[in-house]
This record gives sequence, C-alpha cells and structure tokens, in this order.
Amino acid sequence: MAATIINTDATASTSQGFVDRFDTFRADLDDYNDRRERLIKASRDITNLSKKVIFLLHRIAQGNLEPNQDDEALAKDAAQQGYAKLREVQELYSRLRPELQGDKFWRYQRQISPGLQEYIEALSFAHYLDKGTLITFDEVQKTLTDPEGIEYFPLTISDYLLGLSDLTGELMRFAISGIAHRGGRRKAQNVCAFVRGCKADFERWIPYVRELKKKQSVTSQSLEKIEDAAYAIMVRTSEYDLSPEMLDDIVAQSISSYRDTSRQAVGRGRGDDLSDDEDTTN
Amino acid sequence: MDPIELERINVVLDHDVELREKIKEQVNELDKKMRTIVGILNKIHSTRPEAMPALLDSVKPVLNSCQAVTSALVLIIPKNQFWRWKDMWSNSIRTAAFAAVLIEYLSNRTLLSLEKVSDTLGVRSEWSDRLSLPVEDYLHALITVVNELSRLAVNAVTLGNFEEPLKISAFVKDLFTGFSMLNLKNDTLRRRFDGLKYDIKKIEEVVYDVSLRNLTNISVEK
Repeated sequence: MAATIINTDATASTSQGFVDRFDTFRADLDDYNDRRERLIKASRDITNLSKKVIFLLHRIAQGNLEPNQDDEALAKDAAQQGYAKLREVQELYSRLRPELQGDKFWRYQRQISPGLQEYIEALSFAHYLDKGTLITFDEVQKTLTDPEGIEYFPLTISDYLLGLSDLTGELMRFAISGIAHRGGRRKAQNVCAFVRGCKADFERWIPYVRELKKKQSVTSQSLEKIEDAAYAIMVRTSEYDLSPEMLDDIVAQSISSYRDTSRQAVGRGRGDDLSDDEDTTN
Repeated sequence: MDPIELERINVVLDHDVELREKIKEQVNELDKKMRTIVGILNKIHSTRPEAMPALLDSVKPVLNSCQAVTSALVLIIPKNQFWRWKDMWSNSIRTAAFAAVLIEYLSNRTLLSLEKVSDTLGVRSEWSDRLSLPVEDYLHALITVVNELSRLAVNAVTLGNFEEPLKISAFVKDLFTGFSMLNLKNDTLRRRFDGLKYDIKKIEEVVYDVSLRNLTNISVEK
C-alpha cells in the first residue's frame, strides 16, 4: 500500500512514503542490534561464571584430603559443587530462551557461541572429575533443557566440540599441578591417556568445524606438557627403588611440613597462579 | 569418546556437508542468472529512453526465473535455519533485489518495496524461518541501485537525455533521507552508506551542468 502513495507524482508524498518505510527498517535494525548487544553481554556473563567454576573445580580437586576421604571422593565433591554453581549459568540460559526462539537462534549463534563453549568446558571438566569420561552431546543438551524437556535452544555440534577441545587445557593444568600430590602420578597418567584419546577423536573433524584446527594445536601442546611431566617423573622415580606409595609418602611429607610453616601464603599463591595461566592462554 | 557417540557426530557433520553442497548447487544456478541479468542491465547506459522499456522487458523473464531457484532452495533449508546458511547466497540475492528495484525505477520511477521484491523473487512470507529477504540485504540492494544511477545520470546526458539526471537526483535524495534515519552500526552497510554521498555529489554535478546550460525546461526544486 505504501507503493500507491509513492505512485503519486507530488514530491511531498513520495518523501512521506520513504519515511514510513525507512521507519520500519529502523525499527527492524534497532531490534536486531539491541538483541545482539543483550546476547553479547549475557554471553560475557556466562563466560565469567563458567571461568569461576573452572577455578573452583581446580581449587577443590587439588585441595587437601579429609582424613577418611580418597582422591575420587574429593573429585566427586568438586564436581558436585561445580554442578551446583553451573546451575546459575543454566538459569541464565533459560532466561535467554525467548531471545533465541525459532530462527533467532541461528541469527545470533555467533554472539552466544563464546559463552556456550566456556560453559561446556566447565561442565565437561566437572563431568570428568565426577565420572572420568567425556560428557556426551545429549548430556550437555540435557542441562540446557527445561523440566518439561523443551530445549532452551538447539546445541550445535561445533560448540560442543570446541567446548570439549578447551577441556584438554584444563586437564593439563589439573594433571600437572596435582602431580606432586598423593596419587598424582596415576592421575596424570589417566589424564594423559584421556587427552590423547580426545586429540585422536577430534582429528578427523578439523575440516568440518571452523576454529577446531587452532584448538587442536593447543591440545597438542597441552598433551606434550603432560607427557613431559610424566616422563620426568618416570625418570626420577627410577632412581629410587621404592614403591609408588612410599614415594607418595615422602613427597607428601615434605609438602605438608612446608605447608605447616606457610600454609596461607601457599594457598593464596596457587589461586593466583591459576588465574595467570588462564589469562595467558586466552 | 564412545564409538556410538563418535559415529553420531560423524553422521551429523556429514549431513551438514551434504546440505552445504546442495545449497551451493542452487546458489551457482542463481549466480548464473545474475550474470545474465547484470550483463543486460549494463546496457541501460547506452540505451535511449524510447528503447528502454524493451530492454527492461528482456530482463524480466530471467529475473522471474529466480523463483525456481528460491522454491528449490527453501526445500533444502531445514526449519529455523535460515540465518545459518544465508551468507551463502546473500550476494546473489542482493544482486537480484538490485535488478528488481532498478527495473521498477526505470519503468515506473517508483521505489519497489521490500515486500514487492520478495514477491518478484518468489520468496514467500510463510517461509521466513527458512528463506526470506532480510532488511539488510534489501538496503544493500538500494545502495547498489544508487551507485548505478549515478553512472546513469552521466551517461544519459551523453545520450542527450537531459531530464534523466533531474529525476534521478530527486529519487536518490529521498533514498538518502531514508538511509539517514537508520541507526547503522559499523558494518559494511554503514560503510556503503557513507559512500553514498559521493554518488549524490556526482549526480548533483550533472544536474548543475545541465541546468546551468539551460538544457532542460523542468525547473529544479530546491
């Protein structure tokens, strides 16, 4: 109908027709830009929350064992606390649902992708500590689904894989900073095998998923660091003719005697180290 | 990773690749048509007003044949995935929209609306989650039209058509006013909008030359 206004010859009405049309274009563009900004902001919040969860997981999983607690229980405890904290992220996603409904999800996929990958990294780390396995695609999607079983948005394979790809870096940190703890060498070996498996599995998807190539090379570096650490430990333990348990005890003893004198300083120092590490990798 | 999970991911990714290839096929088809259209439309710069309708009519069948491509494309795109794939054909569809708007302007001196462009290309509103013509693409097409018209203003004068620049000037100024109402962010659309002023300058120079020499009897409204 705007066309009929345009059809009249008078310049005034022609201009008016233009104004009306461009008014609707403006509304359309503004709506797009505003939603985009909101989603970028939300994505940033989610990234921050997820990073905090990752620190939390490291902190608890590397913490001191309670008297009648073993490694596994500690890791599970860490995972539980991580899961609880990640519910805040899930809550944020549930609130974003209207912004991402229908065809909107793909329109803004690039905006929410960074936060989502960080979330998947945190979630998969908690899952690893809990079960020792890689979280599946369905398990991730399930955390982004309301109680009635309706997804907040469709998870994409590429975000899933890229999130998992970041996990390997966290696992490297986890393995290396824990290597001097009781049972740390066994843990490091498990992590090493696990990361190696991830790397092998992901290799074939490089042509399919953009950015995966870059992340794979980071994974390779992480893997190498773990391998080097495992190698150093192997070489040094061979110098002593002791069982792994006894070696653990010797290391643990010297650590705890050191801790007693400067416990607080060490505790704080470790937290700082982690965050520094995080900054440099990003 | 669990072998079943591994296989599942492979299947999804392979499926995406297949989809991409199918879309690519259609886009190639569309591009072929676009080259034909742009080729014919190039001739507007050397066509006298009396021959213009015939020239424009010769483009229309090709432009209408785009409907075959859009209706094939919409069958390939999965529900809700319009924005996932649209970058693959953005350029082609912008060219098509450009052609539609230019033809309409040269035929009837009016601005073809977004809805009418969609109709011309056979894009139906009920397809919106799979295939549509977004405002952004339409605006890009309009800017391309202005770029083309600034050239036409010059070439029309060369052919002895002194009124054409005046008409073009009024139309382009209206368009520019429209664009000025938009809050554009720093993207290609913004950059192209910023470039519009050079087209306007060029057109105004032509208008100036023509009116100064009294080559036209239509008075220029200022």
